[in-house]
Amino acid sequence: MAYILQQLLTHSAGRFPEKTAVWARGRSISYRELEEQSNQLAHLLKTCGVKKGDRVGLFFPKSVESIISMFAVMKAGGVYVPLDPQVPVDRIGYIISNCGIKMLITQDEKRRALDAATRESLERCVVIDHARESGNGTGVIPWSALSEYPVSHPPVVTLTETDLAYILYTSGSTGRPKGVMLSHQNALTFVEWCAAKFQITHEDHLSNHAPLHFDLSVFDIYNAIEAGATVHLVTEDIALFPTTLAKFIETHQISVWYSVPSALVLLLLHADLKAEKLPHLRTILFAGEVFPMKYLKQLAEQLPGVELDNLYGPTETNVCTYYRVDRERLGSMEKLPIGIACENTEVFAVNDQDEIVSTPGETGELYVRGPAVTYGYWADVEKTKKMVVPNRFQKNFTENIYRTGDLVTLAEDGNYYFVGRRDSMIKSRGYRIELGEIESALLSHPAVREAAAIAVPDEVVGNRIKAVVVAHSEKSIKASELQQHCGTRIPRYMIPELIEFRETLPKTSTGKVDRVQLSRESVPVAV
Amino acid sequence: MTTANETTIKDQVRQFIREELAAAKGIATFTDSESLTESGIIDSLGIFRLVTFLEENFGVRVGDEEISADNLQSVDKIEALVISKSKKK
Repeated sequence: MAYILQQLLTHSAGRFPEKTAVWARGRSISYRELEEQSNQLAHLLKTCGVKKGDRVGLFFPKSVESIISMFAVMKAGGVYVPLDPQVPVDRIGYIISNCGIKMLITQDEKRRALDAATRESLERCVVIDHARESGNGTGVIPWSALSEYPVSHPPVVTLTETDLAYILYTSGSTGRPKGVMLSHQNALTFVEWCAAKFQITHEDHLSNHAPLHFDLSVFDIYNAIEAGATVHLVTEDIALFPTTLAKFIETHQISVWYSVPSALVLLLLHADLKAEKLPHLRTILFAGEVFPMKYLKQLAEQLPGVELDNLYGPTETNVCTYYRVDRERLGSMEKLPIGIACENTEVFAVNDQDEIVSTPGETGELYVRGPAVTYGYWADVEKTKKMVVPNRFQKNFTENIYRTGDLVTLAEDGNYYFVGRRDSMIKSRGYRIELGEIESALLSHPAVREAAAIAVPDEVVGNRIKAVVVAHSEKSIKASELQQHCGTRIPRYMIPELIEFRETLPKTSTGKVDRVQLSRESVPVAV
Repeated sequence: MTTANETTIKDQVRQFIREELAAAKGIATFTDSESLTESGIIDSLGIFRLVTFLEENFGVRVGDEEISADNLQSVDKIEALVISKSKKK
């Protein structure tokens, strides 16, 4: 039994050395090559000073090298931090500084795009596309340097399952992203549950649709590697084009698919999804947002032999509940449940009287308990204390539980249903977005006096973002200028699609911006 | 098709992408050959807004199977698609 993630690879490399482990951008790599190259990179990282617990950033579009790097960082005893290659350099700079990243694995162009202060804060960079001959900047190491290191074994490091494996940054309400710390045990609790529940075998072909900084990727990568299966990375040139994506599923003989529902909705709407063209596809998992019932029913009809599972859980717990779609019941269902707790995980809802909900129909905030729960947020004790709290419902020993902020209702049959959020976090395309983070990006523009970000419900992507802005009277500003300003501070999926200017914002009796009123006044954004 | 028309197609495509897609992503500049999907200018919904624009503006019909990176990934490729479609009309 593995207790650290890299053992999954070493084990499968022993069983299936010549099998393809990863496919990406027309290239593939065998289990033996993945094991050997991650050993080499681990030695290189260690030689460059990476010590146990050090954070190493991965900042390049996903590729075979991404997977080599993830394993190499862990083999060196480090903690990998996948950085979204599309987010503004300001935000990357913040994460690199917040997380204390001194070593970055990146591309030449990406490294050059970083601001000078961030570049100087990095001690070393491994550049995946850098030719040795083209000359090195200070601390720049070409990928080709791997060849100088041993292939047969990783460096000696002492790790336990309680050590950190990776940190995933998500949107933070105070205007800056926060790093969710995940241990080897956190990840393996989920991976082992999936392996048993979805019966992944070495004959499977898994897709990887989600970006690597998104926790859906954990299933794709580690469950494929655990089983000796092949994971096929879906890049933008495939993901954004439904017909191309459908063909990809067909030609790569994908058997297990996992993505946000909006990716599946776009496939339904714009690609000719036919069961007879996808004979290998046996399981579709989806998570990250609510699947619109209309489309789920359509998907179930078009792919009659495919098992459909709704997985639910914030990054802080990866997945904590699941619901296997029952086709018999689906026709009469109005809403899809988030289901019941995964094995080795306990969930319960807590009502306003601070009691555990036990009566069907009652609503409360969902709490999660078990080995999948995060330690908290990197370098943010205050935020951690708010969300990862001592379990006051059992007195025998000390342990922490995670409060999700999600309001759920317990149903008669024991399933939980998601009903909303306690705060102003929303989901769009499965991404967690704190409206406060958008507002602080808007307010950082000198011409903006007040700003409110609101979510406009959308059938395909869950929510679209609109902002209502009050400008300082003496300054005039255009929506596109504000969007460009936001583009320097927050990721693209968070930038308001529509910006409306007003003289004032509606306020509640307590003087807060009345989001409810604003939402009511907002018609859906035109496509 | 004259050179003047081709310039017009490219200008219109560029203008649409700049004003309708890139601006909302906070991006001010892009080149004609750059991958609009990799830079994040075009997202999964932007693709369909672009196709609607091409259909309405140039009177061409773009089938679902033609919505691919080969046809739509850059300004240059979009222009080539519109020109080849216009010739077939």
